[in-house]
Amino acid sequence: MNKNVLMSLNNITKTYVMGEITVEALKETSLEIYEGELLVILGPSGSGKSTLLNIMGGMDLPSSGEVYFGSDNLSKAGETKLTHYRRSEVGFVFQFYNLIPDLTASENVELAANLVDNPLPTAEVLREVGMETRMDHFPAQLSGGEQQRVSIARAVVKNPRLLLCDEPTGSLDSQTGRLILAMLLHINKEHNSTVVIVTHNAVIGDMAHRVLRMSSGRIVEVIENKSPLPPERIEW
Amino acid sequence: MSILTKKLWRTIKTTRGQFLAVTAVVMLGITIYISMSTVSYNMLRSRDTFYREYNFADYYFHVIKAPEGVLRQIESVPGVTGATGRIQKDVPVLRDNGERATARLTSYPLPMNTELNRLRVLSGRLFEKYPAGSEAEVLLDPQYAAATRLAPGDTVKIVAEGKQVPLTVVGAATAPEFIYPMKDTASIIPEYGSFGIFMVPHNQVQEILNLSGQVNQIVIKIAPGADEKVVADRVESILEPYGSLASYPRRLQLSDAVLGVEIEQLQIMARFLPSIFLGIAALVEFVMLGRLVKTQRSQIGTMKAIGYDNLQILWHYTSYAVLVGLLGAALGSLTGVLMASSLSKVFAIFFNLPEVISGVSFQALLYGFVLSIAVGAIAGLTASRGVLTIQPAESMRTATPKAAGNIFLENWSWFWHRLSATWKMGLRTVFRNRFRTAVTMLGVVFATGMLVVSFFYQDTVDVMIDEYFSEKYDFFVRFTEPVKESELLSISRLEGVTKAEPVFEIPVKIRQGGRSQDELLTGLRPGPGMQGLSGPDGSPLTLPDEGLLISSSTAKKLQVDVGDEVQVETLLPIGPARESKIKIMGVHERFIGGTSYLSLQQANRIMQEDQLISGAMLKTDAGLAPLVEKKLNDMTGVSSILSQRAVMESFTEQLGFMYYFIFVMVAFALVLGFAIVYNTSVISFAERKKELASLRVIGFTVQEVSGLLLKENLLQTLLGVALGLPFGRYIAGAYINAMMTSSDVYSTYSFKIVIYPLTYVLSALGGILFIMAAYRLAVRGIKTLDLVEVLKTKD
Repeated sequence: MNKNVLMSLNNITKTYVMGEITVEALKETSLEIYEGELLVILGPSGSGKSTLLNIMGGMDLPSSGEVYFGSDNLSKAGETKLTHYRRSEVGFVFQFYNLIPDLTASENVELAANLVDNPLPTAEVLREVGMETRMDHFPAQLSGGEQQRVSIARAVVKNPRLLLCDEPTGSLDSQTGRLILAMLLHINKEHNSTVVIVTHNAVIGDMAHRVLRMSSGRIVEVIENKSPLPPERIEW
Repeated sequence: MSILTKKLWRTIKTTRGQFLAVTAVVMLGITIYISMSTVSYNMLRSRDTFYREYNFADYYFHVIKAPEGVLRQIESVPGVTGATGRIQKDVPVLRDNGERATARLTSYPLPMNTELNRLRVLSGRLFEKYPAGSEAEVLLDPQYAAATRLAPGDTVKIVAEGKQVPLTVVGAATAPEFIYPMKDTASIIPEYGSFGIFMVPHNQVQEILNLSGQVNQIVIKIAPGADEKVVADRVESILEPYGSLASYPRRLQLSDAVLGVEIEQLQIMARFLPSIFLGIAALVEFVMLGRLVKTQRSQIGTMKAIGYDNLQILWHYTSYAVLVGLLGAALGSLTGVLMASSLSKVFAIFFNLPEVISGVSFQALLYGFVLSIAVGAIAGLTASRGVLTIQPAESMRTATPKAAGNIFLENWSWFWHRLSATWKMGLRTVFRNRFRTAVTMLGVVFATGMLVVSFFYQDTVDVMIDEYFSEKYDFFVRFTEPVKESELLSISRLEGVTKAEPVFEIPVKIRQGGRSQDELLTGLRPGPGMQGLSGPDGSPLTLPDEGLLISSSTAKKLQVDVGDEVQVETLLPIGPARESKIKIMGVHERFIGGTSYLSLQQANRIMQEDQLISGAMLKTDAGLAPLVEKKLNDMTGVSSILSQRAVMESFTEQLGFMYYFIFVMVAFALVLGFAIVYNTSVISFAERKKELASLRVIGFTVQEVSGLLLKENLLQTLLGVALGLPFGRYIAGAYINAMMTSSDVYSTYSFKIVIYPLTYVLSALGGILFIMAAYRLAVRGIKTLDLVEVLKTKD
């Protein structure tokens, strides 16, 4: 695997002021993300993994430190630049899918496709996630796994370089979860997208190229996985 | 269609009840705006064209009589660009059915093309200076012609100089000064068929009235830029030797004044009412969209995470309100144009505007659209500005519940502890959602206020009729000229007349401290009589032997009170003007009419006459009234007979017009109240589904849960209704005040604002009924609340 750096985070911190107390969600963290890798960030809740993901996705800014996407410095970016970054470079997959309830499956995908100049064909992406027969259903008519597949399609249709997944299997049973992970791996290989999965479920690390362990706002361990397992063989 | 547009349509579909309710409010606002401004615009345009094309005079001068030659003198006054001399006199008409009417005989010099106040023939043809037949030719005003069914070729008889004069009707005509043909300020209610404008060639009128070579009225046109007052003073000094009776500018000419007030009222309504409706619609939109943005918080976060920018999302939510504005304007324009045409027809009954008022004002339509869309956009943008502060990362998490503090009522522990838990919940909700509570209450205040205003009209008119017709006479008879009191015998001896009281009416100018006011003095027998008089507080007044009972409107205008002495100058066209001083002994108040009363003896004294009377009030046997009327009609000395019954009938006819307005106003008020309560109820129901379901799970019954919502609703609406009642009273007062100060014509009326307690009760009940209906409709889902589903949803 080549080791071109897609994104680098240098000495970033993030503190929240909540009433009278200050919470340090991230403490002096540095990290490089490589093009085409599948990275799993592991940690219990409150370890700062979601904060890290939000900063990577341009949904949040670090309190200090620098974030580079290629040569773009995101840590100083304004709202417009961040929006543009999210629009053209990033795809999001959320734990609760976050589909728009008023839109059908295919419309939810088109919602994202409309934002970029050269989106992948909506129908094709839906076929890739196995939703071609249910594309006219509304989210309320879909199971959790199906909703998550639509959500993946919505992220992928923009053909982003970076796919960020926040507990993508968190609300799913293990069988459906494996299916979703297989899909993410497929995207990683076929579309050559960099995939970052944030989870508290340690076994998911088995399928990653690299695993980061986080605890109390710090990266405590980085594991290079020489031989990732295919998702079908992950047990939980 | 873009995906966001699809999303918008679906949102509208799921909230269609609310969408339509607020659209209805916008629609009503635009309907009122379009209809009122279209009608006022058309009337204004029509009036101005008519005035210009038919050369409406700028100033009027009435004299006893003056030689025609005086016109040349007046024309040479600097600033006068034209002058027309004519004769105008009220004479009795003998109608075929035996009834009396008054004709305002008005002469027209021929040829007419360079003269002022030209007339426009509406049907038939113009009269001839020297007609082929022996009778003079007459054109009638269209209302009189219609009421009496007189057609060209018919003959109509007037009484002039003690003899009957037949005139041949050749058609109907109108003129700028007769757009609203009104006899005098006391006859606020037109009595069709009892008063008509009779237009006859000048030479013929001179012959009929024995006034050859004379005029009794001069109207002039004043050059633009010339000082009206200076010019009028010069003309008046020229006319001084000929017995100057009155002079006034165009704006005090009755028809122009009434028409001006009517147009102005329409313009005020066209601004005032739509502002209320659009304002309330904006507030409701603001509440609705604010709520929508809150509930779709995580969707907005998702859209932002995907890469939508603030502007796109802001516009998405704002479009909801803009669409409300667009649809409301489109529907309102349609109904507005329809209502304008039916309103125009109503106005056409009252006003003789020759260019029929139709036509759509595109300017009004354009403004209507711009206004409602702008209001929607502003409400939408303000309401959805919350979009800007939503952080995508944070919005994915469940919103932290708002800090639940105490409300101020909880400080009154003796009160608070006596409340049940459901009342406490209700009170807390009402006080925590202060803005929504305020909007709901405001809407209810306006809706209830509008109900009071619509009903108040009826109450006031009711009392007016009561007062007007409580007078104890059946007929008021006026003679062609003053006669000796002893001649009253010929009337009081008529079969069926049970009582006759003499009357002496003298038009005068009352002066006091530099101010002056034209007024009609009515001389009566002192003591209690058929003319019921009462003071401003409603207490009965008795006419004293000496001194004046002045009308309250005149007293106000002259700033005089009981005990003051005023200067009185008579304006009767018999003999010279007489000056005298009279002390004010009391102030009396009536709804209509600037009339002041004094004793018969004193009236004669100021005329330097003795035992003269000009008319009589008669009381008759109920069954013999028609006979008495017939006999009175046969008397040549009688100029007019006012029958209480006939006035009453004509008045009742006018009420149809009033009911039309009341109906429209009530309907609008109810829609307004309904829309607001429905919308806010839907919102608070949706917001609290989870809480209500939890209560149901705990074991509350459907009744108990809906009782909780009802308490909240009642807290807001009952307070709104309670405030709406005095608000309505205030608006009614402001409206009457605006009307009375808008023109000198109306300032001679003293309107009382009367609102029966029943009206308040009805308004309150009507309001509450509709509010409850709206509330029921909004929370009808309460019975089918799916407990499991609601509790599962992540908010």
